[in-house]
Amino acid sequence: MATSVQRWWHKLVWPWSPLSEREASEAIVRNLWLHWFPAKVSGRSMSWSYSLWLGTVAASLFVILTVTGVMLMFFYVPSTERAYGSIKDLQYAVSFGRILRNQHRWAAEGMVALVFIHMARVFFTGAYRGARVLNWLVGVALLLLTLMLSFTGYLLPWDQLAYWAITVGTNIASEAPVLGPTFKYLLLGGHFVGQQTLLRFYVLHVFFLPAVVWILFAYHMWRVRKDGGLAAIEPLRAMRRAEPKEMPRSKSYSLFGLTPGTSVAVMSSMGLEERDQVASSPNLTRRMILVFLVVFNITLLLSLLVNAPLEGPANPSVTPNPAKAPWYFVWLQELVASTTVHLGKVTISGGLVGGILVPGVLLAALILWPFFDRSTVSAEGVWFARERTRQNVVFAVITVAIIILIIVGMYLRGPYWRLYWPWSPRPVLPRVL
Amino acid sequence: METDRRTILRWLGKGSVFAAFIAQIGAAARAFFPNVLYEPPSTFKLERPEDYPQGYSFNSEHRLFVVRAANKFHVISAICTHLGCTVQWRGTEFDCPCHGSRFDANGNVIAGPAPRPLPWFEVSLSPDGLLEVDSAETVPQGSAFTTPTEKA
Amino acid sequence: MPGRPEQSFEREDFAWLVVMSLVFFALVAIALWREYATPWRPWQRQFKLTLAHAGRFDDARKFHLGIRQIWNPELGLVDRCVSCHLGFEWGGILPATLPQPLTPHPAPAFMAHHPFERFGCTTCHAGQGWATTAYGAHEGGEGWEEPMLSKQLAESCGLSEGELIQMRCNYCHRRDVSTDGMDSINLAKKLIKKKKCLICHTIEGQGGHTAPDLTYEGDKNPELFDFSHVTGPKTVFNWHVEHFISAGKIAPGTAMPDFNLPPEQARALALLMLSWRRINYPPQYIPQPAAQSAPSPAPTASAPQTASPAH
Repeated sequence: MATSVQRWWHKLVWPWSPLSEREASEAIVRNLWLHWFPAKVSGRSMSWSYSLWLGTVAASLFVILTVTGVMLMFFYVPSTERAYGSIKDLQYAVSFGRILRNQHRWAAEGMVALVFIHMARVFFTGAYRGARVLNWLVGVALLLLTLMLSFTGYLLPWDQLAYWAITVGTNIASEAPVLGPTFKYLLLGGHFVGQQTLLRFYVLHVFFLPAVVWILFAYHMWRVRKDGGLAAIEPLRAMRRAEPKEMPRSKSYSLFGLTPGTSVAVMSSMGLEERDQVASSPNLTRRMILVFLVVFNITLLLSLLVNAPLEGPANPSVTPNPAKAPWYFVWLQELVASTTVHLGKVTISGGLVGGILVPGVLLAALILWPFFDRSTVSAEGVWFARERTRQNVVFAVITVAIIILIIVGMYLRGPYWRLYWPWSPRPVLPRVL
Repeated sequence: METDRRTILRWLGKGSVFAAFIAQIGAAARAFFPNVLYEPPSTFKLERPEDYPQGYSFNSEHRLFVVRAANKFHVISAICTHLGCTVQWRGTEFDCPCHGSRFDANGNVIAGPAPRPLPWFEVSLSPDGLLEVDSAETVPQGSAFTTPTEKA
Repeated sequence: MPGRPEQSFEREDFAWLVVMSLVFFALVAIALWREYATPWRPWQRQFKLTLAHAGRFDDARKFHLGIRQIWNPELGLVDRCVSCHLGFEWGGILPATLPQPLTPHPAPAFMAHHPFERFGCTTCHAGQGWATTAYGAHEGGEGWEEPMLSKQLAESCGLSEGELIQMRCNYCHRRDVSTDGMDSINLAKKLIKKKKCLICHTIEGQGGHTAPDLTYEGDKNPELFDFSHVTGPKTVFNWHVEHFISAGKIAPGTAMPDFNLPPEQARALALLMLSWRRINYPPQYIPQPAAQSAPSPAPTASAPQTASPAH
């Protein structure tokens, strides 16, 4: 009995802890969950210092978001009358509802940050060259989708924070030339944020956008394999190619008997040698589980310590002072608020400059950058390659500028969008009682 | 010794992940048992006794009949004991529109698939003078609540 | 860049995996414990004991622990205050000297006209009905605009708690000429007539048009008031008080005369101003203007019946 249980258990779990080299390779082919990994993976791709495992962190966050999101769907009502109450119920009356919502919230904000940081890593390591351009573009699409997911989710609690952040955010979008107002009209299902907006954002948030993200994410992973793994292996591969091959000597049979000669050297499809690589199962899977555990623990810890924000119910007739966009769009709000330009009689609205021109140029740059990158192969898969210093500085400067704008918008803007230092007193807004 | 400690640690790690995972599934399942209900309570107030006419009055909100005979009141459930449709008072008997169950004036089954008679609920007078029904407490047929003062 | 032996990955990750597994377990355990350690649970245990001490063994036995709420869809009301304030409808059975939050409601005669199941708690006391924590229920937290009308809040306005609550009574009793128990508001309503406010102001479609319409004065955004000449706290209530004492000082150049009202009259008028809000209670909640309140039946000591927790 005990042995038969053991046998069944082994049948279930053997791919995760293979006993031999042969089992390790078979595990990848024969297990549904493992088949999207390569059979072998280079040590450098596995290292913490190269990739920082940021893509895995972002994917872990998305898994957490999907699971908590599906749970939340059972309790949330997408109607302007009941949405706020259903969130209050989650906060106060549903068992584990508060922690569920907190974890969804913090994982969501974390995902926006992590997807961006992951992209920064790919940029700084020059990992988008050659065939990897396509995957870079998929990544840019995933970043935009992550922002949209977060933005659509922001409205759902239907509190003052949500209502006015979406009002500000969609008005930034409407500043786009020609199609802007139409886009806003379509997105809102009207001219103001209302029941139609809530329903549209809800469907986008719980079905349409996540479905697209899952599909693109699967494609993203598939492309990593198609492109020969992480760019981290490129320097190693180049080195192996350049090395004079010392073919193992062997004896083979010729027509006239035994002849000395060389046999075929075994090289993997990645252009690496056996000794450069380890079996994906269990080395890669173990580390992935570790990364997922760390990410899960961090989000859970945050959820225990900090509550997701929820303000008073949405009130279209009272604008909070100040009303801020979600943090990842607050840099745009900052630009919108400070870039209205007067040239003689012509006034260029800050909405156009900060809302459309700047983000449009940045997005175009992200898309086109790999095509204009003239660095050589030796700059691929290496952190801060000297050849790409200028590019990296440009990227870093823009990133830092955005971060500064976010910090200014989030922490230094007080009532009436005026600047206040953290230590300077802010005016106390009047209350009713 | 080294391997012994590793084995213990390995099982400790796996065990704690497994336990925490099961606990999370349990927590998720627990979340589906509501802690608060958006339903009327099982005890509720109706009108004043004197507001009811003689005979059978249907209350659609709570799905029951208030039956008055002089100053005696009783309350019969209007929920068919077969599959929960609302029965109708047809002057002499209750008829169920769904599967043809028929009940006599006291709620006893005359015909049809209904397995049990229609239950009678406990009636009392609330402090503010309204008829009060406890639909969680059934009383035997023939029980009645008599209004203390002859207001009618 | 030489390859690494397989064991090195296991050696590197093993300890971390064990640590993270244990952290995972610990965090989940904390989450479970937090779910159980709700603030209302000890109060409910104590109340169960209190019932037993009072000889209500049957009620104590039937008392199930869990979140309790008064739900009234007519008002969109969900009041979970009664999860801790458990004695609220046990006046006459449990002693009025029970400490909060178990104290019975101190005004049974008033409650006879305003039954709990119709009015809940927050209709009069304000606060956040959804909440099941003291802070959430009383203060509401960030961005909650209707904090509970507590003794402290009333004192900060120079009023008693009962006077402050009259503001909310007047949401429904707005059209009463005079209402029993609403002395401050009654005083203010008399002053409105006496000072002939309607000569300049419009209230509910009647009156002059030279001064602002006051019909929904209580809904006005606090930021729309000019506080530059107000000396006291920056609240709309205080703005009105100082404005009723000396309109010219608060709003220089105004046509409104300085009434130099005594403070209690100014406060009463300020309460009245804040009570004039857009409310959408169903008509059966609005008293008939001329209706004389019927003599209240003596409250009898019967076992209360609010929704008990789902189980």
